[in-house]
Amino acid sequence: MSSLDVVIGVGLPGIDRGQIVDDSRVPGSPEAARRHGLEPGSAVRERVGAGGARVMTGKLIVRFRDGLSLAERQAAVALASPGALLERPSDADFDLVRLDPNDDAEVAARRLSQRADVEYAQAAHRLRTQFVPNDPLYRSNQWNLPLIDMERAWDIQPQAGSAVVVAVIDTGVAYANATMTVNLAAFTVEGFRYPALGRVTIPYAAAPQLGPSSRFVAPRDFVCGGTAALDFDGHGTHVSGTIGQSTNDGVGTAGVAFNVKIMPVKVLASIWDVAFGCAATDGGSDDDVARGIRYAVDNGARILNLSLGSDGPAGSAPVVEDAIRYAVAKGAFVAVAAGNSFEDGNPMQVLAEIASRVDGAVSVAAVDPQKRRAFYSSTGAFVELAAPGGSTRGTGAGSAIWQQTFDPNFSDTFLLPLARFTAPRFDVFAYVPYQGTSMATPHVAGVAAMLMQQGIVDPAVIEKALETFATDLGDPGRDPLYGFGLFEARSALRGLGLAR
Amino acid sequence: MRITITLLLTLMVAAPLAGQTRRPAPSAKEPPFFLHPFFLASGEQFAASKTFDAAFGTESLRPFWGGGVQIGLRRNLFVEIAVSHFSATGERAFVAGGQAFPLGIPLTATITPFEVTGGYRYRLSKVIVPYVGVGVGSYAYSERSSFNDTGEDVSESHAGFIVLGGIEFRVHRWVGVGVDAEYTHVTGILGDAGISQAFGEHDLGGTSVRVKILVGR
Repeated sequence: MSSLDVVIGVGLPGIDRGQIVDDSRVPGSPEAARRHGLEPGSAVRERVGAGGARVMTGKLIVRFRDGLSLAERQAAVALASPGALLERPSDADFDLVRLDPNDDAEVAARRLSQRADVEYAQAAHRLRTQFVPNDPLYRSNQWNLPLIDMERAWDIQPQAGSAVVVAVIDTGVAYANATMTVNLAAFTVEGFRYPALGRVTIPYAAAPQLGPSSRFVAPRDFVCGGTAALDFDGHGTHVSGTIGQSTNDGVGTAGVAFNVKIMPVKVLASIWDVAFGCAATDGGSDDDVARGIRYAVDNGARILNLSLGSDGPAGSAPVVEDAIRYAVAKGAFVAVAAGNSFEDGNPMQVLAEIASRVDGAVSVAAVDPQKRRAFYSSTGAFVELAAPGGSTRGTGAGSAIWQQTFDPNFSDTFLLPLARFTAPRFDVFAYVPYQGTSMATPHVAGVAAMLMQQGIVDPAVIEKALETFATDLGDPGRDPLYGFGLFEARSALRGLGLAR
Repeated sequence: MRITITLLLTLMVAAPLAGQTRRPAPSAKEPPFFLHPFFLASGEQFAASKTFDAAFGTESLRPFWGGGVQIGLRRNLFVEIAVSHFSATGERAFVAGGQAFPLGIPLTATITPFEVTGGYRYRLSKVIVPYVGVGVGSYAYSERSSFNDTGEDVSESHAGFIVLGGIEFRVHRWVGVGVDAEYTHVTGILGDAGISQAFGEHDLGGTSVRVKILVGR
């Protein structure tokens, strides 16, 4: 049970520290190892399942055929699996079954799915942001926006999506000033045990460059619960910046659709969410993502940005596929990261593969400033589009995607030497270079929002427009590295004349 | 194309034959040479109808305005020179699944045909003069859109073929009204890119109903 107490609207404005280099996001660095080596107080609840998928233990997801009563569903679970049916979560058309952590969720799901009254049953994959750490070189630029011809796209549509709500389904967004109090328990990183700090007050501020609070609509937190979808990681705030950073204000960086409304939907837990007692482990699971998608669409989002993913067999997340199809059927366009696992054996990407089969959802690979596939960007038949995601290997931080997010020197205090460990602050911001298909995806989401404002409201047509006007890269035609190619904002918004 | 050539040949043969078999009465004879300036209004159904509908909305006939001169020659032959103009403003669009989605970006297209037609006038009576003709034309096409950069506007000309047939009514000694149907076939401008390529339409011509007010005896 979390002791986190958040008071939204009570807090000082954020501090902007300009550009910084985040050493903890340098591949191979000791800081990065510690970032990923954090062990929360409770054991990490995941195991490697079939096809290399990272599967959450302790639960499975089941969708029964329509018309079954609660008693019938409970009976079915009792007969087919060792678990117990939980109360149906909000924003879900499926149920969760609680298992013993030692039970194999995949085996239990297979057994349950053989019943005639079950539409599907699946283990819950552990999802992660599709962020790849960057090199420490310091040079801020936004090569990424000219690469997709954004300047001329803004000429066409200076409103930049003001009528459209984009849901950022991610780690949350720094969208409000707040004051938080929490009982911070002890936790261990790489063998270092960080002491409990007891009840602490943590300042939290809206990212100064994400604009006024009026642009944020219907935030929802599926990690800690409630309506304060605050980001304690920085990923969701960075992604939101690429979608809609305040632009043409003489400060900081620009965003793609800088007037869109943003719906923060938190489905991925950060290290601090674990330390605050909101989650058992960092990352997310299929059921939370599915609920986040349904919630976003039911509350007016027309563009969904999913800068997240998981490795695993194709078709192994029907709960997410159902949610994506539900979103598209309700008129929402879905952009999904194609994955950063190329150098990890290039496994199938579960969510990107779903997107590739749904007209109106698109999977997005990443390219570097030279329009080459980024070293980490997953490849396969599921790749549909390419967008700037950055690739600092050999070129430095100038080839990453820069946006404003938390200054990790203040937010990621678990990376500091033990003697300097303090409670985090989430009110100090900086322009930080990130790279990944997570960073490529919001480019597509932003331009999709502009297309929607331009009058193309059918998600399938938006996908078609983005693909049609993409610049073919790699092998002629669609290929596994770039899909249909690097999408171009201006061409997509401008459309066709009669003869040209 | 084969249809066009067949029609042309048919008309070329049919006109002199008709002249031999249907010699007009002496009282209905035209002067051996005449010059009839005319004002022209026409409505064209474009062969590339989906392309034009996508940009300008659905219309059965699209208007051309112009004028020209009809020159009567010996043996009821004539030559007609006409210039007309079409202009419409619509929207750029995106095409998917055979359906067009307008994007709200203004687009103006103009077509200016310069046509030279030769034909034969059947002097059936003093007031009713059917005629047929074939010809060639030069079709100037331009397309301008908001937000276009240098080189993105279209300005091209291409030749096309014409077949026409109609009736002229002499409503007054000095005034005639001609109503005819004209078929034009103009390739080389549409079909290589843009909406026309998406719909697979290559012909800038079409079928038009033309009304001419002619002045002169």
